[in-house]
Amino acid sequence: MNLHDLLLRMRALVAPRRVERELDEELAFHIERETQKHVANGLSPAEARTRALARFGSVPLAADQCRDARGIGVVDDLTRDILYAFRTFRRAPLAALTIVATIALGLGLVAAVFTFYNDWFLRVDAVHKPGELFAVERPTGSGADSSVPFTRAEYEALRRETSVFTDVVAMVRGIETRIEGRPASPILVTGNFFQVLGVQAALGRTFTPADDEPSAGRRIVFSHRGWIKFLAGDPTVIGRSLPVNGVPCEVVGVMPEDFRGLGIGSPDYWAPLALARELRQTDAGREDDMPVDDVVGRLRPGVSPEQATAGLSVWASGRTNLKTAGDRPAPIRLEPRDGTLSADWLEVLAVSSPMFFAFGLILAIGCANVANLLLARGVSRQREIGIRLSLGASRRRVIRQLLTESLILALTSAACGFAVSRICLQGALYAATTTMPAEVAEAVDLGVPSADWRVLVFLIAGAIVSTVSFGLVPALQATRVELIRASRGEVTRDTRPGRARHALIAVQVGAAALLLICAAVFLRSAFAAALVEPGVRTSDTLAVPIANEPRRAAILREVTSHPSVAAVAAVWPLAQAEASAFAEATADEADDSAEPRRSVQVDYKFVSPEYFQLLDIDLLRGRGFTDAERTADAGVTVVSESAARALWPTGDAVGQVVHIRADHPTDLRRPSALLAPSRAYTVIGIARDVGGAAMFQFFSFSGVYLPVDPQTPGTSLMLRVRGDPGQARLALLDRLLRVDPALDHEVRTMRTMAGMGAYILQIVFWVTVVLGGLALVLTVSGLFSVLSYLVEQRTKEIGVRMALGATTRNIGVLVLSQSIRPVGVGLVAGGGLAAGLAILLLSMPGASQIGSTVQVLDPVAYAASLLVIVTTCALAASVPALRAARLDPIATLRQD
Amino acid sequence: MTRYAVPDLLPGTLDLLILRTLQTQSLHGWAISERIQQISQDVLQVNQGSLYPALHRLEHQGWIDAEWRISELGRRAKYYRLTRSGHRQLAVEASEWERMSTAIGRVMKLA
Repeated sequence: MNLHDLLLRMRALVAPRRVERELDEELAFHIERETQKHVANGLSPAEARTRALARFGSVPLAADQCRDARGIGVVDDLTRDILYAFRTFRRAPLAALTIVATIALGLGLVAAVFTFYNDWFLRVDAVHKPGELFAVERPTGSGADSSVPFTRAEYEALRRETSVFTDVVAMVRGIETRIEGRPASPILVTGNFFQVLGVQAALGRTFTPADDEPSAGRRIVFSHRGWIKFLAGDPTVIGRSLPVNGVPCEVVGVMPEDFRGLGIGSPDYWAPLALARELRQTDAGREDDMPVDDVVGRLRPGVSPEQATAGLSVWASGRTNLKTAGDRPAPIRLEPRDGTLSADWLEVLAVSSPMFFAFGLILAIGCANVANLLLARGVSRQREIGIRLSLGASRRRVIRQLLTESLILALTSAACGFAVSRICLQGALYAATTTMPAEVAEAVDLGVPSADWRVLVFLIAGAIVSTVSFGLVPALQATRVELIRASRGEVTRDTRPGRARHALIAVQVGAAALLLICAAVFLRSAFAAALVEPGVRTSDTLAVPIANEPRRAAILREVTSHPSVAAVAAVWPLAQAEASAFAEATADEADDSAEPRRSVQVDYKFVSPEYFQLLDIDLLRGRGFTDAERTADAGVTVVSESAARALWPTGDAVGQVVHIRADHPTDLRRPSALLAPSRAYTVIGIARDVGGAAMFQFFSFSGVYLPVDPQTPGTSLMLRVRGDPGQARLALLDRLLRVDPALDHEVRTMRTMAGMGAYILQIVFWVTVVLGGLALVLTVSGLFSVLSYLVEQRTKEIGVRMALGATTRNIGVLVLSQSIRPVGVGLVAGGGLAAGLAILLLSMPGASQIGSTVQVLDPVAYAASLLVIVTTCALAASVPALRAARLDPIATLRQD
Repeated sequence: MTRYAVPDLLPGTLDLLILRTLQTQSLHGWAISERIQQISQDVLQVNQGSLYPALHRLEHQGWIDAEWRISELGRRAKYYRLTRSGHRQLAVEASEWERMSTAIGRVMKLA
């Protein structure tokens, strides 16, 4: 195709009448000129014209060939195909409806997954040149995901002293505030934030550096989300004053909807960093030491990320306070920051492909169902297709017509699928928030990600793929007819549709088996996780993390004086997974031992003397900490059972001396981290190990306990309360919120915390059970309709068989046996695939934890789900089988 | 003037003949067929029904251009003209034809 061609085709499309007229005129001229020639040679005009026409041949045929030559026929054919398709749908509306519903369901589910995927990984934030923005991070170790935050002073220094960025911004997240009593999450930013990102406010203005001066008034900029949520989208809010945590703040601007502040979710509002202290309600600590969560710079044009990393590393190594304790220069890492989750594509693939696969299976089963339906209809349409073929339509042309029909159905399904995806997302969100423990539900602010053009493109592409997968084989099959017999109304009995049908049934059963097995595995695991004892007393205990150190004394006062609190203990870290609290422990062996001194890596936990009793952690031998032993300097430690065994495999641990050396200095920079002093400790007691190794066991711990006091900064509080912990939590919060509003979502009952693991498994279970159920329903309905159809097809044959003496039983077995093989093959394939995937999963790094929580090869789950499928398939097959067996042979034989 | 049905032109030769006819002047469809017939001394009679599809095809390929002009009859006719890429195509096809006809000539003489 060249430009000429394109122009001519366009012309034919835009002005079809004119092009037609010109064609007619051109051909008419030819005839006339030929007539003229004959007249000049002496023929009469009438005779001349006849001869000219005879010489030319069929004018319409020539015109048609001209149209073919200019390729406009495609459009013409398409319009005709579309009209024809709609006529077909009108004739069989139920079939069209079934197809649309099935495909819409599948496409909608996949689109729902894609909506999330799009929101997390594809949707770049609407900022100026997002590709230039990079976050500066200090990873705690090579390849580590966690990194140490910069302080405000370090950010200022970076901005001042390096030149790889045109400018750098800093952000602080995770602050809890309330606007008129409702929780509102802000992001605190430096005054240059909006200018560096190059975004304009939709209403009012953004911040300028002057807004971040301590002397500036309290000003905030709302996000579109916050504006809708708190101000109901009122366009006259600019200049209005709103109480944030009771402090009046002036609203200076509202940002456009597509700006999310370089995150995947938009905050409710932005405030200048200068307001940090006020919003956090801290009143001590130097401003410069405040850690900032994100430092994001806009790369200077012409500077590559590698050069920038090198430049920043040089800068970092020149600053002594950025060095780690081991005197190594702190590593610097640049991460692209464009508003999507920046992640290695391999990781993205690992996370998203199982989701797409699981949801895509529903679409696959739906496509198989529809393909089966079309195969069956193809047979009943053989006569129609046969007539079209004998009238001169090429096979290609008929296939194109059938595929056009399928495509129209698929595109309609895509449109409905979009609605399905929105309903699914909203429904899932509703289900998740209503089933979540109340304390968690009020803390999380979930929203359904909005769909954009990418979702639309995805749906259309999905429709095309589904068209090919459900429409192509039936179209090929339907056009393979013997013309004479088909037009006579005799339906040819090809063996192939049978084979295609069996393959489709096998695929469906396999996919359903796979999903059901997954559902069963997660159900069993969720049960098991719910039954596992958390290992600590959870019935009447609360955890109170304290982030606001200046208010520690006040919080402690409130807590200890509260009537519902029975006991208070301190602990750090609350959960071992939250901090890298580990150290090297070396056993100081008795002199007579010939063995070398043992060194093991152990976790450590700071606890106050009340901790063991409060959480019912038994001391197996020795004693706990006394009231006097409230710092690590006391030189005493309680060791858990397994740690004791590791250090002193033979002897008694109590009374032994252990040397602790904690050397993970990067964590030192976390303001709340406690470091175990490196020294010798005398073991005074052995405590029971807490919890198992399961993934979601929040409180599991084995290692060494070191004494601490609730006054120590960084520690969290553990409370035992009187009566119901939920009630007590609310009563306590009532008082605590006056001291520190940020505590709102932090105070949790231990019951909830321990239940979170099981809850996560439950969510996965529900997702898979819904998918598995859908898969089963679709499969069964597909099997049912195919068998019913086959019975109908074979009515005459069955009549003959019965007339020849076949019993009802024989006929039933005959029909049932048709489905046994494909179902069997599907079961084996599905089960095998599930086991294969499970083994693959277990072989991946980091899977051992999953393996200990989720019994991926649980035989009970496999057996149960396969049994469910066999039973339902048998039921689906038995109805048509019974119908066949009840046929009256005389009636069927007399039919024609 | 009646003659036996001319065997079908070799596939593709009609295009070549049209291009060659249009090499020096622009003509309308009827004139093209007349000219081919005249020059070939009535040996080659263009199937008039297939002439126009060929013209349209060549037009779409960009080898010939069309414009409406007043004809010798005093009414509008569609005149075709060789484009620059048409000239190139003609050169290619002509040399190819030369090669083929020489080859066939040799076979007819010597085989």
